[in-house]
Amino acid sequence: MENKLDYVGQRIPRKDGPVKVTGRAKYTVDVQLPGMLVGRILRSPHPHAKILNIDVSRAERLKGVKAIITSDDTIGVKHAFVDTPRYPADEPPIAKDRVLFVGEAVAAVAATDADVAEEALSLIKVDYEPLPAVFDVEEAMQPGAPEVHTSHPKVKEPLSNIAGKTESGWGDIKTGFAQADYVREDRFESHLRTHGYLEPQATVASYEPGGKLNVLTSSQGPFFKRAKLAQTLGLPFSRVRVHKAYVGGGFGGKIDLFYHEFCAALLSMKTGRPVKIEASREEIFTAYRHGEPLIIEIKTGVKNDGTLVAQQFRVINKSGAYRGTGVVVIFLAWGFIIGAYRVPNFKYEGYAVYTNNPPRTAQRGHGCPQMRFAVESQLDMIAEKLGIDPLEIRLKNARQAGEILPNGDNVYNCGLTECIEKAAEHTEFKKKYGQARSASPSMGSIRRGIGIGVSAYITGSLIYPNSSSTVIKMNDDGTVTLLTGALDIGQGAETILCQIVAEELKLPMEDIEVIAADTETTPVDIGSWISGNAFVTGNAVRVAGTEVREKLLSIAAEELEASLEDLVLKDKCVYVAGSPSHKLTYQQLVSLSIQKRDGDPIIGEGHWRTVRGEPYHPSLATTKGRWSDSYAFGAQVAEVEVDIETGQARLIRAVTAHDCGFPINPTLVEGQMDGQVSMALGHAFMEEVLMKEGRTLNPSWLDYRMPTIHNTAKSEVIDVITERYEIGRPYRTKEVGEGYVSGILAAIANAVYDAVGVRLYTTPFTPEKILQGLGKLK
Amino acid sequence: MKQIIELSVNGESSEFAVEPQETLLEALRDRMGLTGTKEGCGTGECGSCTVLIGGKPILSCLTLAVECHKRDIVTIEGIGDGNDLSPVQQAFVDCGAIQCGFCTSGMVLSSEVLLKENPNPQEKDIYKALEGNLCRCTGYNKIIEAVHKASEQMVTEQE
Amino acid sequence: MRLPKFEHVQPSSREEASRLLQEHGSRARLVSGGTDLYPRMKYGLTRPDVLISLKGLPATPPTVDPNGDLHVDALMTLADLARSQTVLEKTPLLSEAALSVASNQIRHMGTLGGNLCQENRCPYYNQTHTFQFVEPCFKRNGDQCYLIPKGKKCWAVFSSDTAPALISLGASATILAPKERRQLPLENLYTGDPLKPLTISDGEVLTEIIIPCPLSLRGTAFMKFTLRGGMEYAALSVAVVLDMENDGVLCRAARITVGSVGAGPIRAGKGENAMAGQRLSKNLFQEVAQLVVSETHPFPHHGYSAAYLRACLEVETRRAFSLAAEQITRNPGDPG
Repeated sequence: MENKLDYVGQRIPRKDGPVKVTGRAKYTVDVQLPGMLVGRILRSPHPHAKILNIDVSRAERLKGVKAIITSDDTIGVKHAFVDTPRYPADEPPIAKDRVLFVGEAVAAVAATDADVAEEALSLIKVDYEPLPAVFDVEEAMQPGAPEVHTSHPKVKEPLSNIAGKTESGWGDIKTGFAQADYVREDRFESHLRTHGYLEPQATVASYEPGGKLNVLTSSQGPFFKRAKLAQTLGLPFSRVRVHKAYVGGGFGGKIDLFYHEFCAALLSMKTGRPVKIEASREEIFTAYRHGEPLIIEIKTGVKNDGTLVAQQFRVINKSGAYRGTGVVVIFLAWGFIIGAYRVPNFKYEGYAVYTNNPPRTAQRGHGCPQMRFAVESQLDMIAEKLGIDPLEIRLKNARQAGEILPNGDNVYNCGLTECIEKAAEHTEFKKKYGQARSASPSMGSIRRGIGIGVSAYITGSLIYPNSSSTVIKMNDDGTVTLLTGALDIGQGAETILCQIVAEELKLPMEDIEVIAADTETTPVDIGSWISGNAFVTGNAVRVAGTEVREKLLSIAAEELEASLEDLVLKDKCVYVAGSPSHKLTYQQLVSLSIQKRDGDPIIGEGHWRTVRGEPYHPSLATTKGRWSDSYAFGAQVAEVEVDIETGQARLIRAVTAHDCGFPINPTLVEGQMDGQVSMALGHAFMEEVLMKEGRTLNPSWLDYRMPTIHNTAKSEVIDVITERYEIGRPYRTKEVGEGYVSGILAAIANAVYDAVGVRLYTTPFTPEKILQGLGKLK
Repeated sequence: MKQIIELSVNGESSEFAVEPQETLLEALRDRMGLTGTKEGCGTGECGSCTVLIGGKPILSCLTLAVECHKRDIVTIEGIGDGNDLSPVQQAFVDCGAIQCGFCTSGMVLSSEVLLKENPNPQEKDIYKALEGNLCRCTGYNKIIEAVHKASEQMVTEQE
Repeated sequence: MRLPKFEHVQPSSREEASRLLQEHGSRARLVSGGTDLYPRMKYGLTRPDVLISLKGLPATPPTVDPNGDLHVDALMTLADLARSQTVLEKTPLLSEAALSVASNQIRHMGTLGGNLCQENRCPYYNQTHTFQFVEPCFKRNGDQCYLIPKGKKCWAVFSSDTAPALISLGASATILAPKERRQLPLENLYTGDPLKPLTISDGEVLTEIIIPCPLSLRGTAFMKFTLRGGMEYAALSVAVVLDMENDGVLCRAARITVGSVGAGPIRAGKGENAMAGQRLSKNLFQEVAQLVVSETHPFPHHGYSAAYLRACLEVETRRAFSLAAEQITRNPGDPG
C-alpha cells in the first residue's frame, strides 16, 4: 500500500477550536445541576499542630447548611500519588489528629449557596495545639529537627524527615574521578513556581440513587482520579464514574487527588445532592500544590578533550508535608541525566525531604528543567575552563542512535547530535558566542548573549493505569466514532488521535466523532501527564484503525472480487486500484459487514503500552528496570539581552531543534514549544512563589509574575525527523510537551553568562542577582 | 436590596432582579447561562472574564451588574454570526492560537476591539491591547500571529 | 471570588455624592471604576456598608483654561486620558503615565481619581485573611508588621503611576466637600502614612486635577520599572519635569517624584534644588540621581530588596533625566 500521508504530519486546525473560540466549550465550573449545593473547605491556619477538638455544632445549625464532614466521616484510608509497599500512602483525605501544613483540609461544608457555606466555615471551632514546624529542607534533614513524619526506615543515615531516597550508579566512581584531568563541584538550587493553569480547579460530584458516584473534575486523566476516589471513599471502581469536561490547562498541577475532589464526592454521598466545589485562585496559590524545587550538587570529572569520565550527584527535593511526588522526582532527576550524555562512571543519590510546607507535585518537565539547568550550566563552565566551545563538548558526549542506556533502555533513533548541529547553525552560534564579553563599553547598557542547552525526555512511563486502549466503531453512514480515555487538556490530544484515525481510514477529520475521557464508556488511558499521549495512545488508535481498515478491505475484496493488495482507500470508499468506478462506499461496506459477518458493524480495538513486555515501572529507590521505549531529544539556543545597569534580562529569541520522531501535527508541536519557551522564561526571570513559614506571600496573578504578552520571545522550531509514520506499522514518535521546558532554561542561564559573565547558580535570574554578580549592589 | 435591571447582552434584552454585590460575571454566567465568560481569578488580573460594554473591553468580575442597566454588552457568544466565525475567531482556529481555551474568550474579545479601532496594528499595539489577558499555554506567539492574520483578512475584505 | 453585601447608591452629581458620603460617614466608600476597591472587598480587607458609585456620571473632556492650564475630570478613565489629544499635546507625561497603568481593560474601567486615591499595598495585607494569616498587621488595626517583624511601622507602598507624574507636573487637586470646594497641591493629598494614605476625609470627593502648563521650554520623562511589563505595579517609578531657561541650556527648575517605593509619592527636593540653575550634563544627571536615591529611602517590597531598589532607582532616575533632556521642546502655544 502506498504511504502518502494526507492527515498525519499535516497542519490541521484543532478539532475543538470552534467550540472554544465561541465560548461553547463547557468546563467543569460551567456545569449546573438541579439542586446542586456549594461546597467549601475549612483549612488549617497552622503549619504544624495537634487537632484537639472540632466543634461543628454551631455551623450545623446555620440555615442552609446541608452537611459537614471531618475526618470522622471518612473511612480512614490514606492515599498518595505513590502507594507501594516501600512508599505506602501517607495522606489522609481530611486531616485527622494533626495538621502538617497551612491549608490542609480539616472539615468541609455543603450548603445551599456560597455565602452560607462560607459563613458555616467561620462557625466551625477547631482547637489546635501548635507544634514546632520546619520549613527549610536542609534544616529538616538535621537530626533533632521537628519531625513532620518519621524518616523512612530503609534510609540508614542519621537524617530526619526523609520521605524517600533514590540511589543509582554504574562504573566505578572513584576510578572515574582518578582518570579525570579536571574535576569540578558545583551546587545549584531552584525555586518554587506554580503551574499557572488558567482554569481554577473545580469538581462537580453527584451521588445518584442506586449508589453511583458521578464526577466531573478538572484533571489530567480520569482513570487515576477514579482509582483514588474509589479507594478513599470505599467504593468499588465500577461505582465511580469520572468523566470529561473541557480542561483549562494542567501542566502537572491537576494530577493528584485534591481535597476539593474528595470532599465534593463525600458531601454528595452524604446529602444525596450534587455538590460543586471551586477553588479560588488565591486558594490555588496558598493551599494547592506547586512544583518541586531541587538542590543539586554535582561533581564532574572530564578529560582535557572534554570527554566526561565521571559524574556524581546529590539531589534534595524540597518536599512538603506529604510525600506526594517527592519520591518520583528524585527518581526522575536521575532519569533526566542519563539520556543526553554518555558518562561511564556514575553515582547518584536523591533525597525527598518532608517539611511543613504545602505538599508539592509534578510540574511540566518534572525535575528536568532543574537538572538540565544544573548539568548544562556546569558543562559550559567546564568547557570554558578547558578552552573548548560549548558545542564541541556537547557533541563529544552526546548519545548516538541505538545506544543502550545503563538501565537497559535503547534510545533507538536518537537525533541529539543533529539537533545540536542544526540549532547552532541556525543561530550562527559559533560566530556569536563570546562576543559580548569582549565588547567595548561604548555600546550602551545592553549586552547580548547566546547559550545552548540540551535535553532528553521519556515518552510515557509505566505508571497506573499503564495502558492506553481505544475503540473505533463505524457508523451506518460510513463515519466513525473514536472512543478513547485520553483527556485533551489543551495540548490537542483529540486532534492528533483523530488525525491518526483519518490517516488509517482515509477519512476526513469531520467524519470522526470523539467520545473521550469517561471511565464508564471509554477504555483506559495513561492520562495527559506522562508525556506518552502521542506515542502510547496514538499507537493504540493506530492499531484500532488497522483493524477497522482490514475489516473494510476484507469485505471489499470479497465483494469487488479483487485481491487485497489492489484495493485503495479514498474518500470514504474502497476502490480497485486503476479502476475508480469499481468501488464500495464505507456506508455500503458497513451494511455488507452486518449482513455477511454475522452482524459485525465493524469495530476496531487497539491497545498499547509504554514499554511492551515490561511488567513494572523501574524501582523508584534503585532505578533498576527498564523505563521507556522512546526518548525525545532536543537542543535549544537562547539569545538574551541583559541591561548591565538595572540587571534586567530578557529572552529575545529561542530556537528549538527537536527530535520528536515526527510531528503528527506541526502546528500543535510548535504550540507546545512556544508554551514551553514562555514557561521557561517565566521560570528564568520573573516567576516565584514567595513563602514565609509555610505561608504564601504573593497568592495572585498580580504578584506572582507569570509572563504577559510583553515578554513574548521569538520562538523558532526546527524539526529533526528521525522516524516515519507508515500506515499499518507501529511507530516510535516522541514526546513534545515537557522536555523542551528544560534545555531552554539551561540555554538562558548560559546566555546570561555569555552576555555579562555572571554565572547564576540559583533560579530565578532576577535583576538583583545579576547586579550582584556584576558587583553593582551596595 | 434587589434592584430590577435590564441587561442587553448580544442584542437581546432581559430583566433581572439583582443584589448590588452581584457582578456582571455572575449575572452572565449564573443567570443567563453565558458561561463562555470565564473567571480565572476574580480580581481583575487575568482577563478571562473580559466582555465588551459600549464596545470597550472591561472585566466583568469587577463590574457590578446594577451598573450595567441598559448598557450594551457583548460576550464571546455574541461574536461571529451563527455558524460563521468572525475573522478573529477564524484566525485563532487557523493559527493554532488556542490550546486549553480558558483564556480564549477574553483574548478574542480584546482582539476584536483592537482591530476595530486599529485595523492594522503594529506589534506594540497588540501588546498593549492584550497585556491584560494571561495565557499560559501558547506563549502568545500564535495569538500574535492570529491577530495579524485577522487584520490582513479584514483589510482584504474591506478592499 | 464574590463581593460581600453592601448598599449601592448612585448619586446624580458629585455634590450629591459628597453629601451622601458625609451622611454615611465611615460606613460608606466612594467608588468609580472599582478596580482597586472591589478586589480588596473580595479579599475582605474592607467592608463598606454603602457604596456611593460615581460610575454613571459622565466625565467632562479635558479642557484648557485661559491661563493655558489643563483641567482633567477625575472621573475620566485612564484609557480616555491616555488617548486624549489635548492631554497628549499639553502634558505627554500624563498620557504616558496613564498608559502604563495595569492593563487595557483596567484602563477602560479605572479612573484618574481612583488611580490617585488607591490604597497602599503589601503582600501580607493584600490577600484574604481566613486561614493563611490570622494575626492582624498594622494596616488591619494590629500592632505588628508580618513582613519585617522588627519594624515598628507599616511598610505598605503606594503604587499609583499617575501620581508621581502629576506631582512632578505641579498639579493641584480640586476637592469637593459638602459645603465648600477647595484646591490643594496634589502632593498634599498624600499623608505619607501607609495606614491612612490620603488626607481627604469623609464627605470629600476628588473631582478635578488642574495641571499648570507654563509657557516655557520643558522636557519630561516617566520611567516605570517592572519585571514583566504589563498588568503589574511598579517596582519603582520616577517622573521628571525639567523646565529650561529660554537658552535651552540651563535648567530653571526641576521636579522629580518617585513612586512605588514609599508610603506615598516622594518628591526629591534635594535633587530638584541640585538641578536648578545648572547646565544639563551627564555628570549632573549622575550626581542628582545619586542625591535622589539618598533622600528617597526606598521600602523593600514585593520581593525587591531596598538595596536593589536603590541601585535601580539611581539608573532609572538618570535615564529619566537623559530622556527628558532629549525631549525638551517648546510648549505648544508658546511664542518662543
